[in-house]
Amino acid sequence: MDLASQLRSSILSQSLPPPSQTFVTSLLAARNPPPPLASLVATAKSRLLACDLSSSPSLDSASLVVFPAGVENTHLREQTLQRDTYVQVLDIENLSLSRWEQIEELESIEKGERTRGREIIRVTADQDDGSGGEPQQQRATPSSNATHRLVLQDRSGKKVYGLELRRVPQIGVGKTKIGEKLILKAGTRVARGSVMLTPETCQVLGGKVEAWHKTWTESRIARLKEAIGGDQRP
Amino acid sequence: MKVLCVAEKPSISKAVAGHLSGGGFQTRNTRNQYIKNYTFNFDFGQSWGQCDVNMTCVTGHLTQAEFTSEFRNWSFPPPEALFDAPIVTNVVDDKKAIAQNIADQARWSQLLVIWTDCDREGEHIGNEIVEAAYKGNANIPVKRAKFSNIERAHVISAAKRLVDLDEKQVSAVAARIELDLRIGYAFTRFITNNLRPLRGPMENLVISYGSCQFPTLGFVVDRYFRVKNFVPETFWGIKLTHLREGKTINFSWARHRLFDRMAVVILYEKCLVAKKAKVTKVQKKPTRKFKPLPLTTVELQKAATALLRMSGQQAMTLAEGLYNKGFISYPRTETDRFDRGMNLKALVEKQTPDSRWGNYARGLCDGGFQQPREGKHDDKAHPPIHPITYAAPTVLSHDEGRIYEYVVRRFLACCSEDAKGEASDVELQYGDELFSAHGVIVSEKNYLEVFIYEKWDNTIEMPKFTVGEQFEPTEAMMTDGKTSPPSYLTEADLIALMDANGIGTDATMAEHIQKIQDREYVATVDRGGQPAGDPEQNDNEPAPASRGRGRGRGGRGGGRGRGGSGTTTGRRGIKLFVPTQLGVALILGFDRMNFETSLGKPFLRKEMELKMKAICDGHTTKDVVLRESIAQYRHVYMESQQKLHVLKSACREFVFGQPGS
Repeated sequence: MDLASQLRSSILSQSLPPPSQTFVTSLLAARNPPPPLASLVATAKSRLLACDLSSSPSLDSASLVVFPAGVENTHLREQTLQRDTYVQVLDIENLSLSRWEQIEELESIEKGERTRGREIIRVTADQDDGSGGEPQQQRATPSSNATHRLVLQDRSGKKVYGLELRRVPQIGVGKTKIGEKLILKAGTRVARGSVMLTPETCQVLGGKVEAWHKTWTESRIARLKEAIGGDQRP
Repeated sequence: MKVLCVAEKPSISKAVAGHLSGGGFQTRNTRNQYIKNYTFNFDFGQSWGQCDVNMTCVTGHLTQAEFTSEFRNWSFPPPEALFDAPIVTNVVDDKKAIAQNIADQARWSQLLVIWTDCDREGEHIGNEIVEAAYKGNANIPVKRAKFSNIERAHVISAAKRLVDLDEKQVSAVAARIELDLRIGYAFTRFITNNLRPLRGPMENLVISYGSCQFPTLGFVVDRYFRVKNFVPETFWGIKLTHLREGKTINFSWARHRLFDRMAVVILYEKCLVAKKAKVTKVQKKPTRKFKPLPLTTVELQKAATALLRMSGQQAMTLAEGLYNKGFISYPRTETDRFDRGMNLKALVEKQTPDSRWGNYARGLCDGGFQQPREGKHDDKAHPPIHPITYAAPTVLSHDEGRIYEYVVRRFLACCSEDAKGEASDVELQYGDELFSAHGVIVSEKNYLEVFIYEKWDNTIEMPKFTVGEQFEPTEAMMTDGKTSPPSYLTEADLIALMDANGIGTDATMAEHIQKIQDREYVATVDRGGQPAGDPEQNDNEPAPASRGRGRGRGGRGGGRGRGGSGTTTGRRGIKLFVPTQLGVALILGFDRMNFETSLGKPFLRKEMELKMKAICDGHTTKDVVLRESIAQYRHVYMESQQKLHVLKSACREFVFGQPGS
């Protein structure tokens, strides 16, 4: 088996979205002689998970399953996805918390404070995690019975809601990245236009689209405020 | 051998003299009408043996730290000069006779024994007494009696086991006094000098700053805006009820509530389609409600404000009175565990004559006694607050009686068994959704019989459910509701916030809360919305807040009423704290300056409190702490000077109602 096929099958065996021929070819041509297979696969993985699933030429359109027609139809009480479908996350909300609670928390973090019970804790720059790109975001782990709603997009660009029917531990505000890739396994149920997420049917692959995630993070307070239609700060 | 004993206040002096002499002491007047000298004989044991004792006292602090006269003027030298201006410590004018009495008596004595309260402040007052004694006898040896209540056996045992004065605690208090003086004066003058020119209502105000007052005010302002800015939101849920054996059981939804209607509609529909709910878990198990922890000062204040409708300060004054009379142990303590060696049963026994809880106490003595729970705090100085002797209702004032009752009931509850009951839990799966119901049947009330401040009621008795059983619920409804704003702070909330954020010590919190009311930075309203006092009254107090003294100790200034609320001490509604316009302007003014640490936030003060503790523990010294803390506050001062316009514009906005200036 030539290197291209080896690379391709390694990528697929990791459940990554299927790469296009051009992606594989250009990856192999980038260095001569090509690096070992393991590092090629690692490079491929990070690029595939960081691409825009709906438009990237790195992906093989022909083998990417999209949502069935009428998936968003709210008149249909229940339908089922027949095949594994790759999607990316465009938005995530914790429906168990009021927007106002989330605004208050984000604003106090902006001011450099965090609360632990009644205690107010000052957060200084050097105490914050060294990840750099993540300026003081909420890090609280969502409670075990939080319910999240995601906006999911398939290869064709179609967007539908994903609702946690049962808690998927890898999903959470501050944990899930925008542009993160998921597989909705065959058999996933769709109710009234929303995909039902469960740990058995939703496989989280990881990754993010850096620019989207940055914009999403920065505009989160503004979006929350818009959602409740109130912005009268002192 | 002659021994001079000096207590912190007249009541303790008299009580100790009574115990040590066995009642046979002679009384002599001094030049201060409240101070008596008691003489008697006592055998101190150790190397001293039988001694002629002269017992007297002070009335709280003898001395006061102040700036020299060149710094009396408020504008020149400029206030920042106070950060390193010379400080002199002098005996306060009206205490001079007391100091003289100590010096005179020391002249004839070969040993000085300090009997001040055993806490940091008391240690410092002890040192002030030593200084006064040295004036008469520069070589007099000094010892200290360590005691935490004035029960006879305890006092006698303290007298026979004298220890040394703790210099570290003295240093810590000295550091605090100096910091409070410098910081309080510098900022008070700075703020007042700069805001008065705004004229209008500010023209004649003294705007005092205190490093505890401001963060305390900050909590009130913060909560005020959280209430004011609150935006209600709608949420939806699913309510499931089932009728069985004539009882209606309410099952609650595991998701509780979601802030999206569509999502709930989808999940609710799945329930309806499923038609039948399936029982997934049935459990009956013994449960208990824990008896309370031994009583600390903070908890006493919280209970007094929440349950007895008094202010924290009133409660402390009353508790101190009870302590001075020997009815309860020292009321300033952080300790929430009793020493294993204490004979608690004997203390329970003393409560048996009471008509309200005597029988209960008898029951504990006759076998019901249980060792109290142990909390995690131990200040190593005082036990938790507990009754020492029995006080019949006739010897106490109405309010004293209520505090005493709480202390006793809490103590008896601590020595009781937890309340016991049986909990039943039933869990259901309905569609994809999970629901649960919880019921409790109380079988033994135990401590709840005496601790009338807590309730634990039977809920409904759960009918029979079997795992795996399926049934069609009587009713499943989609519900909705709206979130509501938090409530304004109660005094108990405020104390809890101060405690969690290290503002003030357990002993001084109530005073800071009183102070921000006296300064008219906050007002109180009764729950329900009526102002409790008259927040408009405008009589300025001439002096800045932070005089560098700890608490109003001894006989002076103890039973002050509440500023502005001018009412009786009887029952009132729960009071809620809201800031005045001035209070809002000050906090937002400093917050908006955007320094790393606003004066309205607790961080700087918390650091200072931790440093006091570090001095006591020997981890740092007074000089280091003074240097560090003064540098910090001086830095904030300079920043405030640069951003003064921010503070002024906040005042224009909130005090003068000129938005957007």
